[in-house]
Order: sequence, then C-alpha cells, then structure tokens
Amino acid sequence: MFVSIATVMAASMALVGCSTGSGTTDAEGGTALTVGLLATPGNLDYTTTAGAAIPQALLYNVYEGLVKLDNDGTIIPLLAKSWTVSDDGLVYDFLLRDGVTFSDGSPFTAESVKFSLERVKDNWTANGPTYLDPIASIEAVSDTEARITLSKSSNSWLFNMSGPVGTMFTESGIADLATAPIGTGPYTVSSFKTGDSLVLAANADYWGEAPYMSDVILRYFTDATAQTNALLSGDINLISGISQFQLVDQFKANSDFQVLEGASTGEVTLSMNNASDAFSDVRVRQAVMYAIDRQAIMDTANSGYGLLIGSMVPPTDPWYDESLADLYPYDPDTAIELLDEAGVRDLTVDFKIPNLPYAVAGAQVVKDQLAKVGITADVTTLEFPAIWLDEVFSGHDYDMSLIMHSEPRDVSVFAAATYYAGYDSPAVRAKFVEADAADPARYTELMKEATTKMAEEAAADWLYLQPAISIADADLLGVPRNTPSLALDLSTIAR
Amino acid sequence: MVLVVLRRILVFATTVVVASIATFLMLSILPGNAARIALGVQATEADVAAQATAMGLDHPAVVRYLDWFGHVLIGDFGDSAVSRQPIGPEITDALGITVILVLTSVVLALLFAVPFGIITAVRQRRLDGAILSGISQIGVAVPGFLAGMLLVTVFAVTLRWLPAGGWVDPGDDFGEFLEHLILPAIALGSVQGAVLSRYVRSSVLEVSREDFIRTARAKGLGTGRALLRHGLRNAAVAVMTVLGLQIATLLVGAVVIERVFSIPGLGSLLLDKVALRDLPAVQGIVLVLVVFVLVLNFLVDLLFTVIDPRLRRAA
Repeated sequence: MFVSIATVMAASMALVGCSTGSGTTDAEGGTALTVGLLATPGNLDYTTTAGAAIPQALLYNVYEGLVKLDNDGTIIPLLAKSWTVSDDGLVYDFLLRDGVTFSDGSPFTAESVKFSLERVKDNWTANGPTYLDPIASIEAVSDTEARITLSKSSNSWLFNMSGPVGTMFTESGIADLATAPIGTGPYTVSSFKTGDSLVLAANADYWGEAPYMSDVILRYFTDATAQTNALLSGDINLISGISQFQLVDQFKANSDFQVLEGASTGEVTLSMNNASDAFSDVRVRQAVMYAIDRQAIMDTANSGYGLLIGSMVPPTDPWYDESLADLYPYDPDTAIELLDEAGVRDLTVDFKIPNLPYAVAGAQVVKDQLAKVGITADVTTLEFPAIWLDEVFSGHDYDMSLIMHSEPRDVSVFAAATYYAGYDSPAVRAKFVEADAADPARYTELMKEATTKMAEEAAADWLYLQPAISIADADLLGVPRNTPSLALDLSTIAR
Repeated sequence: MVLVVLRRILVFATTVVVASIATFLMLSILPGNAARIALGVQATEADVAAQATAMGLDHPAVVRYLDWFGHVLIGDFGDSAVSRQPIGPEITDALGITVILVLTSVVLALLFAVPFGIITAVRQRRLDGAILSGISQIGVAVPGFLAGMLLVTVFAVTLRWLPAGGWVDPGDDFGEFLEHLILPAIALGSVQGAVLSRYVRSSVLEVSREDFIRTARAKGLGTGRALLRHGLRNAAVAVMTVLGLQIATLLVGAVVIERVFSIPGLGSLLLDKVALRDLPAVQGIVLVLVVFVLVLNFLVDLLFTVIDPRLRRAA
C-alpha cells in the first residue's frame, strides 16, 4: 500500500547545497558520486517515520537484513549465508555470515537477529511492523545460527524481511536512530542535513566487497527543474527516478548521458470509493474502466512513459499477468450501456486528487473522458500529504481519487475492508490469506486468482505503472535499472 | 527621546506577540494530522493516536500556545516534530543563509540602482537616458524566478561556468561559496535593482528641481556637482524608505529564489515544515521571520537619522 510518501516529501521543501558542490571528479579520477533525489528524509529513523525517502537512502547502503532483493526482485542472501525451511513452512534456520561487525564495532550475531526482530512489535510504528506478525519465536541457536519459528506458514514474510522491517540493529547502536544510524552496510552516514543532503562514506570494515564509490552525496531537490539543471550543469552525476518525463528524450539525444528505463512498483491508480453511493455498483465501476483511455492518460501525464498493467501487480512480481491490461479496452459505448443497465443517469462524482503533477495532469484527461459517457467529475485538488491523507485516506470522504501506490507487493493491503478504497470482498481476502499460507508452488497461482478477481470486479482502475527512469553520466556503470524495493542500492555503481 | 524608544519597544513586543498568536491560531485550524503524516499510511489508528499524544496534540490550544511561547521567551524553540532535533539550530542555520542571500542582493541592487537611476535622471531628455529607463522598466516586469531560471540556463547549463544551485558555507570553501551565491543573489536583486533605480531616478529628478539645487547652481556649481554635493543625500531618504518597505518583499522573493536554486534557507525550511505539518518548527520560523523584518525596518529607521540630521532633532 502506501501512497507514495516519497512524493510527499518531494512535494515538500528540500534543498540542496551541500558542501561538496560537484561530485563529478575527485583527485583520484572519480570515486565520488553525487545523486540528485526529490524526496528528502525528515530524519533517519524509519522505525518510527514513514516515507520512502529514508529506506531509499539507508536500506542496503547503511542497513542490511538477513536477505535482500536483487534488481530483478529475487530474494537473495545478505547477512544470512543460507537458510532452510521445514516441510510445514514454519521453521526457518538461517546460517549467518561470520565476522560481520556493525559500524560502531559491535559484532553481528544471532543475538542481533533476535534483538532486532523482537524490537519491531513494540518499538516500530512506521513501515509496516505488522509484516512480522507471523513470527512466533526467535532463537539464537549459536552465534551464527538463528532459528525463526512462524505461527502459521507465510509466503510473504521472507519477502517483507528484505524490506525495512528486516533490518539488523545492534543494541549499542539504537540510541539516536534519527541522526546516527548504525548498521552493517557498505556505507556509513557521515553527515545529514534535512532538506539538503545526506553524505555517505564507504565503511572501511565492511564484511563484503568494498563499494567502488568511496563517497556518495545524496542531494535533495524540491524542484524537478532544479534537479535536471544540476545534472545538465555537472553538479550531480545521477538522477534516480526522474519525474519530468518530458525531458527524457532530451537526455536520450545527449551523448554525455545514459538513460535507463526500468520498472518500479508504483501503480498510478484511479481509485473509486467502492463504499460510496456512486461506486458501490460494480457495473458503474466497470463503466468507468471502459470509459477511460489509459494510454491517453499516460501520454498526457507521463509523455507516454510507463506500462499499462490493468491490475495492482508490476512485472517484477511472479503473479504478474500481462493479459489484464486488456481486460477493459477503451470503449465508451459499452460504458454507456453499463450505466444504463445500472440505472444511473447524470452521475456526478467527487474527484479529490492530490496536488502532485501526475495527478493534476491525469485528472483533466479522466474528467474529459468521463464527460463523454455522461459522468461529471468535480475535481478538487488537495494539498498532499496533509489534507489528502485526512480527507481521502483517513476520512474516506471522496468518490474518486488518483494516486500512486508505491510500496512493493501492496495488492493485498488494497483489499482490506477498512482501506480507503472500500473494496469489501470476503472472497478475495480469503484468497489472499489462503495464498500466503499455501505451498510455495500454489502461492503464485492463488495470488494471480485473487488479483485477477480484483481487476474483474474493478476494485480500482490501475491506470499504469510508473516507469523507473534513471539518467546518469554516460561513464557510470552498474546503475540499478529497476526499483523492486524501496532501496536505492549504491553498492553496484562504478565508473 | 526615552519615550520614543520605549514606545518603539512596546510596539515591537506587541507586534511579536500578536504575530505569534496569529500564527498559532492559523496553524491550529489548518487541516491535516501531523501524527498521520509522520507515521504514514501503513500505521494503525492506535499508533497514530499514540503519536498525537506524544506530540502533545491532545492538549488544549491555549495550553500549547503558552507552553510554546514561554519556552521561546527563554530562547527554546522546542524540538521539531519531524526531525526530532532542536529547532533553534535548524532555524539559525537557515536564517544565516537567507540573511546572506538577501543582504547580498540588496547590495547588488543598490550598486546597480544608484548609478543607473542617476544617469537616467540626468540624461532623461536624451535618447540613451530614455533607453536605459526602458531597460529598468523591463527589469521591474521580469519576476525573480524567471530571471533565476534564465541565469541558470545560460551560466550553469549552457556555459557551465557556475553551479545550477546548492549552497556552500563560507567557512567550508569561500570560493565555492561565492560561486553558489552569485546567480541567486543576482536573480533576487535584479527586480529590486530595477525597482530602486526607478525611485532613484524620480527622487533625483525631484531634488534637482528643489530651491537649494538652484541656489547651488546659482553659486556656480554645475548640475552634476550640485546634485552630488547637495542632492544625493536628500534623494537617499526617499530611496531608503522604499528599500525599507521592500525588505518584506525581498524575503518573500527569497523563498522562491531559494527553491529555484535549491538553497536551504529559511524560506525552504518554512515550506518544508508546513507541508509536513511540523507545527513547532513552523511557529518558530514565522516568529523569526517577523522579528527579522521588524529588526531590519528598525535598522532602516536608524539609517534615516544618519542620512538626514533633521530627523534626529524630530526624534
């Protein structure tokens, strides 16, 4: 779930201006890297502060867990060398790496695993502490062996362990999470100025291969134009996740830069309040599906960049079904028929959108297209995050909205009855529960059934998948193409 | 004299208190739940409620106001609800940057406006004077942010002479500090320079028609020398008045310019904190801005008495 609070903070103020103005060259020929980002962390503690900006900077770079997601979305070992799972899917035995230390010098052992994961339930308030609910007990068998027992078999929890909640902390390193993170990762935080910059330095005692870039400066911009100007003028080397898609072609034509197009996990969603009078009838929601020309919206809001998905599943998830993109072709006549069938005339809907560029641009097209089938959309633009969260997300006081859901694997959250979408299908919820507990072989199949059902019932109109487009200096190597997780993995980047 | 000073202090204190109450009231009725923003959409209602309690949002507004203002009086702005660090140092850092930016732009504006205004005044009936006057008219019409974007496009993106944005503290690297300062200061100062040059021009014209100038010329001084010796000081009073009024405008302009150039000044900090509903921080910043404008206006008033001895007697 998760409505991109990344964009939140992007929309909020930030600023640049770090003391190391230009990262392009240092005396040794380029082991410094400056990255331009839009969402600034308010502090560095993702255990109690929401938003994608903190994990983007720290996860896999400063903090590590037992497992991580590689760039294709596959779970791979990190602090765990390997693991075995009991036949009933309840007992996970992790074999831990030896000789790993935290950046404060304390050792990483099975006790750290127990300490970190047991802390989540009572001390975490943000970034999904409930993801670890399946855990029944954690046992430090030896220094390098940790046994985690689940109360019920769960296919999703190991995936979730690759995200923020799986982070390994040391008891001596949690005194000041907001400003001084202590992890086992390839980088340490050397300075942080909110709204301005976060400076990372290579961790000299890192257990793995040392990263190529010895110094990384993450510079935060509030203004996307300022961000692209900084790249063009050589102040920064890389923009990860550009938001001004109309500029992409300009960079493609410039041999000083390389453009990497990948997949994100951000589904741009035209949400319909299933619990409202306007959209409680499935035929009305389906009419909207037929009335909307998703390609036209993507062309307007994104200069054509993106992927039509038709469900809340990006291609990096195993249960992605590309045929769902064609489930509701653009067909205004069918839309009108469905509205007639439902007995709906002169429908006016309360269309409350966040004041984010893609939403403002997309909403105009949606409004025009709905008008063609006789639906009037009253567009109200709400300040994001503050007022949108209040009215739409918490208050459910809306008929229609348009927002990007940026969290990985958030489709089952969307089906929760209390969620802002108001989609209340006990059958789909049961299917998700069944899938999570199922044999891994059946997992993908059941997830596909559940997500297909949601698309058929038009729980929402998933317009398109936001592309992950990175633009980098032409000589940079190993820039992550996709963003399957919240992290921006800096360890692979070289020159 | 003592009475005047006392009255001034009273006005100052009242303005600060009224401004602080107004800020507090406006923020109190601002929709948006700071606790929900902090914890995000994944947090449970129970966690959000607990967070609101931890932030003190459940106390009555009057209690929160008195508690906050009482601490401000002893120099404690409290902790930011978002960064959880003391707000005081955050504001001081950002204020330092904004002050440097605003003052530099004022200096640049004056360096441009005074000679430009005088020349256009003295040569008002000639073609070159009219052309220059027209140029300043254009300067007034071009908004600061547009000037900033044009400067970035030319000097940073195309020529790559200067950075496109960012900030370096003078203590870290003075050369880089200047490189980062020059474009935003010009962008912010250009409009002010153009506005001021119009005032310089009109007040020089006005002064040149005064009796004392005619007297000076009658005593044998040329027009230029008469203006220089007797006119400028008189013209300066009017220009200073405008400058004093423009300071608030400059601060607003700085908010925009800081954004265009990604400078972590007070304007950036304010917008940032408003978006996150970091109310303790917003209150502190607005209060500092109010005091800043009042102090600058006070300094301008003092300058009047330096420039014009007659005002000293009146005081």
